[in-house]
Amino acid sequence: MSINEFDVIIIGGGITGAGTMRDCAMRGLKTLLIERSDIATGATGRNHGLLHSGARYAVNDPESAEECIKENMILRRIASHCVDETDGLFISLPEDDLAYQQTFVEACRKAGISAEIIDPELAKRLEPSVNPDITGAVRVPDGSVDPFRLCAANMLDAKLHGGQVRLHTTVTGFIKEGDTIRGVHTRNLVTGEERDFYAPVTVNAGGIWGHDIAALAGVNVGMFPAKGALLVFAHRVNNMVINRCRKPSNADILVPGDTVCIIGTTSTRIPFEECDNVAVTPDEVNLLITEGAKMTPSLSSTRILRAYAGVRPLVSADDDPSGRNISRGIVCLDHETRDGLKGFITITGGKLMTYRLMAEIATDAVCRKLAIEKKCETSETPLPGSEEGSYEAVARKIWEKPSMAQKAAAARMGSHAHKIMTRDRLDEALICECEEVSLAEIKVAIERLNASTLTDLRRRTRIGMGTCQGEFCACRAAGLLAKAHGCIEKEREDLKDFLQERWKGNFPIGWGDTLREAEYTQWVYKHVLGL
Amino acid sequence: MKFNSVIIGGGLAGLTAGITLQKAGKSTAIISTGQNALHFFSGSFESMEEAPQRIVDLFAEAGIGLHYAPGVRLMPMGTFKKATLSLDDVSLFPDPKIGHKALIVSFTGYHDFFCDFLADGLEKQGIQCRVNMLNLPELEMLEKSPSEMRSVQIARAMDHRWETIVRELRILIRDEDIVVLPQVFGLNDSSILSRIRQSIPAQVVFVGTLPPSVPGIRTQILLKRRYEVLGGTYLIGDQVTGAHVYDNVIHSVVTQNLGNHFLEADNFILATGGFFSKGLKSNPFDISEPIFGLDVEQAEDRNDWYNPEFMREQPYMKYGVATDPTLHAIAGGEPIKNLFAIGSILGGTRTDMGMGGGLALRSALAAADQIIKQAEQ
Repeated sequence: MSINEFDVIIIGGGITGAGTMRDCAMRGLKTLLIERSDIATGATGRNHGLLHSGARYAVNDPESAEECIKENMILRRIASHCVDETDGLFISLPEDDLAYQQTFVEACRKAGISAEIIDPELAKRLEPSVNPDITGAVRVPDGSVDPFRLCAANMLDAKLHGGQVRLHTTVTGFIKEGDTIRGVHTRNLVTGEERDFYAPVTVNAGGIWGHDIAALAGVNVGMFPAKGALLVFAHRVNNMVINRCRKPSNADILVPGDTVCIIGTTSTRIPFEECDNVAVTPDEVNLLITEGAKMTPSLSSTRILRAYAGVRPLVSADDDPSGRNISRGIVCLDHETRDGLKGFITITGGKLMTYRLMAEIATDAVCRKLAIEKKCETSETPLPGSEEGSYEAVARKIWEKPSMAQKAAAARMGSHAHKIMTRDRLDEALICECEEVSLAEIKVAIERLNASTLTDLRRRTRIGMGTCQGEFCACRAAGLLAKAHGCIEKEREDLKDFLQERWKGNFPIGWGDTLREAEYTQWVYKHVLGL
Repeated sequence: MKFNSVIIGGGLAGLTAGITLQKAGKSTAIISTGQNALHFFSGSFESMEEAPQRIVDLFAEAGIGLHYAPGVRLMPMGTFKKATLSLDDVSLFPDPKIGHKALIVSFTGYHDFFCDFLADGLEKQGIQCRVNMLNLPELEMLEKSPSEMRSVQIARAMDHRWETIVRELRILIRDEDIVVLPQVFGLNDSSILSRIRQSIPAQVVFVGTLPPSVPGIRTQILLKRRYEVLGGTYLIGDQVTGAHVYDNVIHSVVTQNLGNHFLEADNFILATGGFFSKGLKSNPFDISEPIFGLDVEQAEDRNDWYNPEFMREQPYMKYGVATDPTLHAIAGGEPIKNLFAIGSILGGTRTDMGMGGGLALRSALAAADQIIKQAEQ
């Protein structure tokens, strides 16, 4: 097999692509993943980071609910360093119909989700941030999951199994022979290099962009781009996930994640052209704050860090204008049986929670095409970083007396944190103070995790995600990237792009402390640093 | 307690007004939260392409050297910016070709100074560059803690041992005519800068670092000292919580620390800064001035507050309290007769006075002059 030949090519570096890559590589396939941008840039990195118990879908979409709870339990085992086992509440407010609670609990039980009705007084003790006027509460096994970390861990494991990743590389066309896809034409968007890669099977895991990828291959996948807007608050206001116990609607989930909490979402159909640049509108911001404060009143006075939006890759089923009622179920299309196009599979629908199952289904389909019989092992094998249990135990195993930054690194990287064993004490210098990211961790991300831009670094280490939104660490990290890549001019542009990206999420919520911070950052970069 | 003038805000604008008034024999008090924009001062006063003798003298009396010459200065990201009135720390050049060969020196483990960006910027001008990182035993204590290698800490460690730098530089330097150093010297005493400059056989160019700004903090310390030497009362760590206003005249203000001891004065000067310094406050619906509820010039629709492009001019930065031509602040459409607004709280509403440091100096002098003149009449 030549260096341009593979068993399988996967298009898309989101969680579905990364999971499929891991599964394929673990089953012994020579695997290549191609991603147009960086890992987790689409819907994977633009959601709540909710480890769904499935309860939310129990009433309307029992099949998804069952998938969710199964995968929920699997992720707790195989991705413990990405998961925060917070548990969740489904609360009823005075304006909600308390009778729904019974329907909800029964549906949960049917789907295999433990759902325990608890006294509202107990709920308030368990989660003091919750609206004190609640009339009912149900406890479910929700949690939070870091999608960036999960995506990176899947790719890392795939690489350990021989898989190859090409980031910042776009598929410009398919190599077709009659009715068979033989490979892809690609272009590296950084270097401009054009290369062809060959494989008997190509998997389209492009999320909402899968629609365009399928079109490029000459087949149609009817997708429904549903935008969801979310807000990140600067504090971890709640410790448990808080949901509204009613039919799924806008802004009814509040998820604690790391040092922050996230309220969402909305659901609006948008044209395909907007998928690359989704913006959050003031109306959406207002709605999220108003609805969020109903569940957790203190949100109305908590600083908002940023606003962002993702696009769900729903598959068209009916003419539901919002997309709320489209099944979140998994769709795996074998284009040979569906369209007469051989060597091409699309895996879509689903959600972050069910990525592993989606990967298993897609990999099964790949193996069938390649006539390979090998069992899927992804539900039993822990991801790199999750072999050791709690992050504190991990940190203590690596460092005798771990520092705050080392503990933070262990929480981010799990057992893999030993890779950042510092070479000397200077490596312990903090680059990002908000998120406690050390020089050593940045070096690992640049040298081992393919980070080539500041935004790549952010996804791998959380630099710039804290309260200062990259004011100082961006500049420090830019200095390090400039050194690593030796191109200063490019790095200066990269720094501008990074600040632009942060601003994009700041200005829709640009008031109060956010505006103060923005004024400071804009002044410092323009007038003090001279960018 | 009754003063001629009470100044709210102890940054560049407030101190400049305070010193000017004290010099004219007026009793004043400054109420300061403690932090101000001088903590991230670039060393140059924006929009001030001149060196008015009066300002140069006022600063010289405080022990701060200022200079201006048309041309450019070197910025931390390796770019060049048009020269404006600057501290002596800042080297001004006729054009970006500032020399032939440059030695850029920083400290091992210090990430707030951007040697590679500077080298790139200078090389674009045809200046050959060599970067060297000093490993000084004096800084070892700082390296031990991951967040201690910052400008002010280095300045504290180096101020007593500045000769070490000179010794190291003299060993390092070959045929370079320019030596670039981070602005981490002379936290309390700017004479260290000239002593370093005199001891090195090349032109020493001090370039800014990430905040906090060492020259900015020094400027704040020296101006405050000068103000107090002149008899001014500087109330630090306090803030105004209320005011007694009758018929558009302010009689006194209430502060957090003084409680029932109201600060009375004939004149009040509001120098509380922009958004960052909390002189201006914003919520999702409007931008306001929190102490007196002054009128703030702004766009009504929040969507118009921002330019989605980060590097573009931002409309919100132009917003500020409304004033009449003589800088009297306006509330409910009427000027308050004895309240002047100066400095960044004016935003971009006074295009005649410039922006940033230039705006602070010009508006502070304009307000102080009026108060002095008023008393004479």
